[in-house]
Amino acid sequence: MHLQHIWLQDFRCYQEAELTLADDLTAIVGDNGQGKSSLLEAVSYLATLRSFRGVPTEALVRQGATASIVRAEGERDHRTLLIEAEISSNGRNRVQVNRQRLQRTRDLLGFLRVSVFAPDDLELVKAGPGIRRTYLDDTLVALNPSMHQSLSDLERVLRQRNTLLRQARGRLTTEIETTLDVWDTQLAQLGDTIATERVGLVDQLAPLLNSAYASVAGKPVQIGVIYEPTWLVEGLAEALARVRVEDLRRQVTTMGPHRDDVWFTVAGLPARTHASQGEQRSLALALRLAAHDLVSTVTGSSPVLLLDDVFSELDPQRSDALVASLPPGQTLLTTAGALPSGVTPDQTLRVVNGELFAV
Amino acid sequence: MSSYAAPVQDLIDELGRMPGVGPKSAQRIAFHLLKIPTEDALRLATAITEARQRVAFCTRCFNVTEGELCGVCRDERRDTTVLCVVEEARDIVAVEKTGQFRGRYHVLQGAISPIEGIGPEQLRVAELLTRLEPEAVTEVILCTNPNIEGEATAMYLGRLLQPLGIRVTRIASGLPVGGDLEYADELTLGRALQGRRDLETG
Repeated sequence: MHLQHIWLQDFRCYQEAELTLADDLTAIVGDNGQGKSSLLEAVSYLATLRSFRGVPTEALVRQGATASIVRAEGERDHRTLLIEAEISSNGRNRVQVNRQRLQRTRDLLGFLRVSVFAPDDLELVKAGPGIRRTYLDDTLVALNPSMHQSLSDLERVLRQRNTLLRQARGRLTTEIETTLDVWDTQLAQLGDTIATERVGLVDQLAPLLNSAYASVAGKPVQIGVIYEPTWLVEGLAEALARVRVEDLRRQVTTMGPHRDDVWFTVAGLPARTHASQGEQRSLALALRLAAHDLVSTVTGSSPVLLLDDVFSELDPQRSDALVASLPPGQTLLTTAGALPSGVTPDQTLRVVNGELFAV
Repeated sequence: MSSYAAPVQDLIDELGRMPGVGPKSAQRIAFHLLKIPTEDALRLATAITEARQRVAFCTRCFNVTEGELCGVCRDERRDTTVLCVVEEARDIVAVEKTGQFRGRYHVLQGAISPIEGIGPEQLRVAELLTRLEPEAVTEVILCTNPNIEGEATAMYLGRLLQPLGIRVTRIASGLPVGGDLEYADELTLGRALQGRRDLETG
């Protein structure tokens, strides 16, 4: 979906805001804490139904308001599309497409797609496995919105199973055992589905990641992506049976797609421990670019690029390389400082305390 | 926040405890009740009192009933060999509306959900097992909801019942009749494809 208009109401620090987007690059400038990132957050909410800053959706509602509304008008397949979301402070969110209320919020997924670049993307390489799983799973949902259901089912089954494990208090009665069997079967089915999808995704990403890295770093380096859950060969059902005693003792599910990691290697060495700071930064950018590339190719339309203050963290050489590597398409970028040379916005807006001004 | 007179606030709080009623709706209903003629409001109060005093659960299937046995269990024309297991009594009404089922029911009064503290022992599972022999049940239809908890409950019961030599079936999930294929979500459509059957042209 190509965006034309965005309206915000009671979203973060915005009481009311309206903006028209350029076909290509819109730059949003302003000091820190004025609401630049919030604008991108609003757009990405329409695409993913959550905040890319990892906060609960209730936190998006402006202080003192009961609900925020995000509305975007754009074009898809030569048709005008109006998508709207109401984010409620009590967690009951609603969505509409062309004034028609959708039954479930997740039905909004797939109308708008975004690729978010944020300063903390470096954590994709440096931090724990959670953010890497999120990276894979977000990309899977962008490629196929029905994955959202499998992922939320997984979350629910895990909550149920872990609660049961806590209730068991380490004892395995017949009652607990038969109930646990049932959750294991559900977890195994979901786990196998999700892991298979992740394996397929990693295979598709690998070549794109190599070329993205080469263009960001300015030279080709062998990049590896390894996703090999220990349980994948035997199947999750078998693995869960094997670790059942351990799960009961620790009162938590120790095996499954929620515990998996994805490893990246740079020139054959683990990126997290062996790559230099610069290589890690290049890899983080390459990961975002590769996912963007894949989603564009598979879905036949480029996600809207959301660049949240990415240049501030990069040295001039790398930021020039990023500018050169950025795919064409609609882009929204925020910056607190000056734009790198070579970036020429079609439109620039200044944010001051939740209000937008044309520059 | 609360600046209403105590009885009003009490009413709002009580209404807010109802399933599916949030604080806003509770407020709206409360003020509606205060605005309508007194006798209309009291009729509702009487209906609640009456229902609570006169309605109990069927001793056999745990459907709601006025007597000891519910209407379905009292009906002698019904097939006792087929049992339809549902989560709540209201699901019986839904199945009855189809006119497709002539057997008896068994209400579990919930679904397995550790989060809500509901395990098999909190459900009417033991009561289900004791019914099988006296009523010569040959088939149990698992009619629990097609969500995580409903599936878990169906799976649990299936494992319990299958070794007893009883035919255990699960209701199919699929497309709503009279709908358009293009509006079906992928999951429902996928399930419908999995559960496809041969076309009957006879």
